[in-house]
Order: sequence, then structure tokens, then C-alpha cells
Amino acid sequence: MNKDAYKVVVARDLEDLIPVFMSNRQKELGNLRIALAAADFDQLRQLGHRMKGVGHSYGFDLVSTLGKHIEDGARTGDRAGLEARIAEYADYLAKVTIAYE
Amino acid sequence: MSADESVGSNFRVLVVDDDPDMLSILERLIHAEGMRAETVADGDAALVRALAAPPDLILLDVLLPGLDGFALCERLKAEPATAMVPIVLVTALEDHDSRVRGIRAGADDFLSKPVRREELLARVQTLRRLHETRRELEARRLAAEVEHKKSLLRALARYLSPKLAERVIEEMAEEGTPFRRGPQRVNVVALFADLRGFTRLTERTEVDGVVALLNEYFAVMTEAAYRHEGTIFSMAGDNLLVGFNVPFPQPDAPARAWRAAHDMAKSVAPVLARWTARGGLATGIGFGMASGEAIFGNVGSPHYMSYTIIGDAVNIAARLVDMAQPGELLASGAVIGALGETGARPRGRLALRGRGEPVDVYAVTL
Repeated sequence: MNKDAYKVVVARDLEDLIPVFMSNRQKELGNLRIALAAADFDQLRQLGHRMKGVGHSYGFDLVSTLGKHIEDGARTGDRAGLEARIAEYADYLAKVTIAYE
Repeated sequence: MSADESVGSNFRVLVVDDDPDMLSILERLIHAEGMRAETVADGDAALVRALAAPPDLILLDVLLPGLDGFALCERLKAEPATAMVPIVLVTALEDHDSRVRGIRAGADDFLSKPVRREELLARVQTLRRLHETRRELEARRLAAEVEHKKSLLRALARYLSPKLAERVIEEMAEEGTPFRRGPQRVNVVALFADLRGFTRLTERTEVDGVVALLNEYFAVMTEAAYRHEGTIFSMAGDNLLVGFNVPFPQPDAPARAWRAAHDMAKSVAPVLARWTARGGLATGIGFGMASGEAIFGNVGSPHYMSYTIIGDAVNIAARLVDMAQPGELLASGAVIGALGETGARPRGRLALRGRGEPVDVYAVTL
């Protein structure tokens, strides 16, 4: 992934919300893995739908993009694709850097 | 703080979303605009909250635990308390059917997730202005309605007793038409006042002058009657009929009627003195008072109705006023019995025209 994709600029007035936001993303990642292991595509679709809605709202565009892919993949039952997206999400969360403006 | 900011701080936005991060950011953005945000995480709780204290705007997610956003929107739009509250569906659902469903549910606007700050704020501000304009128009409409009622009351009060006029307005508001209630049987105190010597006075006076004299006379008499909360049922020629304990209960009706008669006599005395001085003819008021059962309500034909009281008490009072001398009040024994010590002199048990049973009559000079 392009190095710039890991850089996120967040509005200064949202700074205090970001620790909780990031913590929730880690929990989300765990839930995605559990759902994938259980082949629970409905749960995967819901989690993807939620990621799609919340990511860009905070400035984390890739969270929304991955969320849409996961939602679509869950609808079609694309297990391999979902596995790849979840791995991509884990990588992103590990490397993302945040700047406040 | 500017006036606009002050208005904004009173503007309440209910944010409904089951995602805590969405709730946090929407709440933050609403606060930053000087508005108050309240957050709820499920549809059922949102319904209860909105109905208990209707907000000024609702930002509503679609996929919710409990009632979903569409169902909640429908419920809120069906409730009178929240029907006018603008609802923005904030949703990541992109399909055409979801939008159509939202419109059918009554949503006023849509906002796509992920939410863009500028778009959210632009929509909220627009709906806030619309809502405030609507509220201002509603306040003006209510003020106009109040003013209309007041002017109607002023107009009716020229023909009806003030309390009766108020009842007419209430009946019009509640039932669409006044005087729909059927005749009722009540215990009343009927007080007649009759101007003596007026016919001779009018023979010496021009028509316009007669009307002016009568207006002067009735103005003083009605004011005195209203001071004691009597209801005027008839004003025919120079004759006045005032009812007590009708149409509104007055447990002290005999005492009120008694005081009203004295007040009328005292208040009208200077008027009569002026007339005597002007015309050289003495005039005076005779009073008749009786109590008992009567029927009040609309009497007449579909073409001409009179809202009045009829019955034995009214008939007795009418006979007594015919018999009363100028400056004299004749009252039935039933009234005097209810009053206690009055200083009234017994005139005996008298046979009254058109009535089989004689009536105990008492007299007092006013």
C-alpha cells in the first residue's frame, strides 16, 4: 500500500475523540476475524456497513473504503476476498499515523 | 453572545445512531454550531425521548436496534407532537429503494454516511432556519387566533353578558357552533327592573334623544348587574331581566341579586335626577325579584331564537315588577327566606295575575 495511505489528517476539534475511535476499530477488527472464522456473512456485512459509515466521517477514508469492500464481499460470500480485506485492515490499523489540523 | 447564537443554543437536535463513534462525532459537530445535541442509541428509546420532549430536529440512522429508522420516522410523523419536527435520515444505505422508503416514511432530508462536516452543517442550518420560520409563523397564527377571539368576544359582549360571551366562544372552539346544548332546568333568581315614567318622558323627547336616554340608563344598569355577575337575558323597551345562578352556578345567588338591585338603584339615581331636572318629570325604577326553578336555553323557532330563562320564578318576578312602585323592590318569600335579615316589610300573601297559588311578597324601599 502507498505510504501516504497510512497518513490521516483529522480536524483538531475531534482530537479527543480519536483514542476511543481507534480502540473501537481494534475491537471491530477482532469481531471481523471472529465472524470470518465462523463464516458469519451477515455479521461481516453489518460490520462492513458500519465501517463504511464511520471511517470517512472522522477522516479515515480507507476505513470506509475497506468497509464497503467487506460489505460487498459478505453479500457475495467471497471468503478469500474478505480474508484479504481484513488483513489489509489489520495492516492499516497497525501503521496508520494521525496528524491534527 | 449574539441573538442568533442565543437562538441556536436553544435549538435541540436528537441524534439517533447505534454506532457510538457516529454519535460522538455528530454530537460534537452539532455542539460546535452552538446547538444542543441529545444522543440515543436505539429506535425504541428514541421514540420515547422524542415524544416526551419533542426536539427541533432529528438526525436518524436507519439500521437501529428496536424500531428501525424508517419505522421510527413513520411513527414520529404520525404523532401530532412530533409531526412537524424535521427528520434527516443519516444512512450508509445507497440504494434507490431505501431512499424511496425514507421519503414514504416522511423523512425531510437525507444525509449519506460517511458524513461530511460541511454537508451536515449546511443541512442542519437550513432545516433550523425552516423550522424556526415555521415556528414563527405558527406563533403568529396563534396570536392572530387569540386576537380574533378577543375581537369576537368584544363584539358578543355588546349583546351578551361577558361570561356568557366567553361560553359562546368556548362552545364555538369545542363544538364548532354555539348554543348547541339543550335547555336545562336550574334554580334561578330572576330580577326585573322597570323604568317608570319613561313613556311620558319619551313623548316630550325626539327619537334620537330617546335612544340616548335609554343607552345612558342601560349602561348604568348593566354595569351594576355585571358587578354582581348577573346575566342579562332580556332588554325590552325600558325593562331589564337579569338572572343569577344561571348559566353559571352561584351558590350565593339571592344575596348577589339583592346587592345588584340596590347597586342598580343607587347607580341610576343621578341619571334619573338629571332627567327630572331636564324634563320636569319624575321617573323611578321598580324592581321585582323571585327565585325558583326555571328552564334556560334556546327558546323560539329555527328562524328566531332567544337565549333566555322561562318558568315560575321568572313569571312571579315579572308580576312583582308590575306591582312595584318607583324606588321599590318587591321580592317573593322564597328569596327573602334565603337571605335572612333584610329589613324588607311583609306585604302579605298576594294573588298574582295568571297564577293559581298566592305568593308571599315583601317590599323594601331602595
